[in-house]
Amino acid sequence: MSETSLGEPLALLQDATIGYHRRAAVLHDVTLRIEQGESVGLIGETGSGKTTIARTLLGLTTVHSGRVTVGGRDLARLRGRALRTFRRDGVVQYVFQDPLRSLDPDIPVGDSVAEGLDVRGRLDRTVRSSRIAETLHAVGLDPELASRLPGALSGGQRQRIAIARALILEPRLLILDEPVSALDAANRVHVLDLLRASAAGRSFAQLFISHDLGSVAGVTDRVVVVYRGRIVEDGPTAQVIAAPQHPYTRLLIESAPTLESAGADRERRAELRALVAQGGTGA
Amino acid sequence: MSAHASAAGGPLLEIRGLHISSPSAPLVRGIDLAVHRGESVGIVGESGSGKSLTCRSALGIVPDPLRVSADRLAFDGQDLLTLSERRWRSVRGSRISAVFQDPASYLNPSLTVGRQLAEVLRIKLGRRRGAARREAVALLDGLGLRDPARVATRYPHELSGGMLQRVLIALAIAEEPDLLIADEPTTALDATVQAEVLDVIADLRRERGLALLFVSHDLAVVAQVCERVLVMRHGVVVEEGRTADVLAAPRHPYTRALLDAHDEYGLDRLRAHVPSAREVVHV
Amino acid sequence: MSVFRSPSVLRSPSSWAAAGILAVVAVLAVFGPLLAPHDPLAQNTAALLQGPSAEHWLGTDALGRDVFSRLLAGSPVSVAAALLSVAVGLVLGVVPGLLSVYLGRPFEWLSLRLMDTLIALPFLVFAIAMTALLGNGVIQAMVAVGILISPAFFRVTRAAALSVARSPYVEAATLVGASTPWIVRRHVWRHVLPAVAVTTASVTGASLVIVSSLTFLGIGVVPPDPTWGGLLATDLQYLYQRPWGPFAPALLIVATVWALNALADALRDAQTAEAGRDAAADDPSSGAPSPDAGSAGDPLFPVPDPQVPDREVVR
Repeated sequence: MSETSLGEPLALLQDATIGYHRRAAVLHDVTLRIEQGESVGLIGETGSGKTTIARTLLGLTTVHSGRVTVGGRDLARLRGRALRTFRRDGVVQYVFQDPLRSLDPDIPVGDSVAEGLDVRGRLDRTVRSSRIAETLHAVGLDPELASRLPGALSGGQRQRIAIARALILEPRLLILDEPVSALDAANRVHVLDLLRASAAGRSFAQLFISHDLGSVAGVTDRVVVVYRGRIVEDGPTAQVIAAPQHPYTRLLIESAPTLESAGADRERRAELRALVAQGGTGA
Repeated sequence: MSAHASAAGGPLLEIRGLHISSPSAPLVRGIDLAVHRGESVGIVGESGSGKSLTCRSALGIVPDPLRVSADRLAFDGQDLLTLSERRWRSVRGSRISAVFQDPASYLNPSLTVGRQLAEVLRIKLGRRRGAARREAVALLDGLGLRDPARVATRYPHELSGGMLQRVLIALAIAEEPDLLIADEPTTALDATVQAEVLDVIADLRRERGLALLFVSHDLAVVAQVCERVLVMRHGVVVEEGRTADVLAAPRHPYTRALLDAHDEYGLDRLRAHVPSAREVVHV
Repeated sequence: MSVFRSPSVLRSPSSWAAAGILAVVAVLAVFGPLLAPHDPLAQNTAALLQGPSAEHWLGTDALGRDVFSRLLAGSPVSVAAALLSVAVGLVLGVVPGLLSVYLGRPFEWLSLRLMDTLIALPFLVFAIAMTALLGNGVIQAMVAVGILISPAFFRVTRAAALSVARSPYVEAATLVGASTPWIVRRHVWRHVLPAVAVTTASVTGASLVIVSSLTFLGIGVVPPDPTWGGLLATDLQYLYQRPWGPFAPALLIVATVWALNALADALRDAQTAEAGRDAAADDPSSGAPSPDAGSAGDPLFPVPDPQVPDREVVR
């Protein structure tokens, strides 16, 4: 369970309406808090706006109205050099969904991992190497891999490299976009174990973005469900899954098959869909 | 399950002692696999287990440097091992068909979806142009696409993942094959969309007696869709049997590990009971 | 730059021939006048319009000058002029090309419209107009041509930069606080250089044709200085007596342009082959087991020996 925080949240969106450049808003009146060290899952289907929330915390969107703060800084105002400095401070880091495409194919993975350090200025070589080795070790990879190109690594290894790249800057908020969707069973388990262990350490907050509730259920304290640019449910993971309030959340949960039973049949799903369309909270 | 065997006088797809090797290493090492008429068989395994290669061998599309050999590789009594490419073309699509994970990459981005579907009908079934177009729309309608006429006029990039996958299924069943091979068809889809596509597949099986070879990493999906399951690892089958049996009482440690991982990280332990009966279709 | 290490670039016979021709042209361009057996400007009224002989390999022109010597002596000017315009085009094209991707919408729009305008202008007419404006010299003419060539470099640079600019790994660099110059240096430039190399080779050929056309018309070089194009035009009124006249300069020009285009093709092919190999290696559904060695082994899923590296399985 997350600690109740008396102070400022680590990240906050308050009644925010957000879009990209001048285009129509993707998020409407969104309010979301992330406390220090908390582990939160952000669930939604493609196009729901969950990725936009993540990109907002990275300063990649346009805030039409409302507040957005991260680490106490007002993100809506940051531009240009100030934004770059904010990023170099490494408060928020991001792990991409596709491990293959998020690493420059012609650069050894060690250099990709250290890029965040390199942009800050020239580091002593030994220090740099040991930082890289340390971080690779922390994600369960042999430091020897640092000299390899991404193409010579497996999908699971690449995903861990991407996580290492984010962790080396010691962020306070780590955002992971579909961290395990592209991975197969074994790698999935490895990465989820890794993430759960680091979440338990509480040294940083984690925000998992996923379309698959099941993949984050085992790792998060809290779950937030996004539908069509609005937050429809926000609560402790176990509670939301056992007793979802919003019909869309129920649709999500009940659509997924389990080992014991198939997912809800089509009548039930149609019923829930109708409820969602009405915009009600459902019973 | 044995009812299928006696009805047809033998399995529809029969694979015995399948070996697939690259010049430097064996990739599939002695697989036995049988799918009977109307039966639904699942393959569970991670990348590198050989599951995809096994499927490809049943379609004659194993990439060139790899060598395929088997004691028996036959479809409906006809030997597939020695089939020339020309003869394969009369088997693929009309007797054995397939859908894969990423629907967009199997469609021509510069042609409308309806046109691609109609093309198959014209070329492989000899339909006249107008009839092909109408039949294409009818096929899309049969797969539960709302407003199929309009969908037919859309280009692939204008359709969502779920719709594209249904288009691909339409393409696959256009010639009414006896066996559909589905390699991770719903892995990339949102939970709600996955449920719809699985419905579509279940309907097809019910309506047409379609046999199904379904590959997935998701045990719960396999539990919903398949009567029998094979667990593959490193090119061999480590466990097989009726799905319910294998999942309830796994014998091989790898299967057990997969189940443990599913329990630990899935929805099952948190979810309240979902009101629906088990929906595995027996044809 | 791995594309230059690729052996296939060097292996085909046409590449060898092209390299040979360009080597010869390079020697001529540097040492031409020194190698000339006769003074290219020396007139000899006793030996007018002679055919090829031991004394005069390509014969003499209407003023008794040795054609072969003139051809050699004219090489530096012709080649240098072509290279000059390419250099101008390169600088004026590559820099705005890169900037158009990173300086924001207004600059992008402006540079695109500017390039569109330049593309619309015809080379020769513009060059002639420039010489009329700025005086009849080779440099003016070729700078003018260089300006008109810049869109080719602009487009190629911009395309290469754009192909990379939106990729996730560039975004990842942005998110750790990389500045634009850093990103260009580290991630983008590598893609721009090969494209620019190909364009340079083919544009130099085009440029040489333009130089020759201009000098053929008598623009840009003051007689009696010889140039390749000028030699094509020499004594056209005496074509009846000297039908072999235009062959040598024409052959030289054609051979050089061919060689440059062959070089451009070879570079382009090498790049495509490189890209194809990389794409095959990245193919996740190739079915080969992943090389998982080096990750911390978990007893539940013990790590297999790496069997087939991804690169070996080609779709």
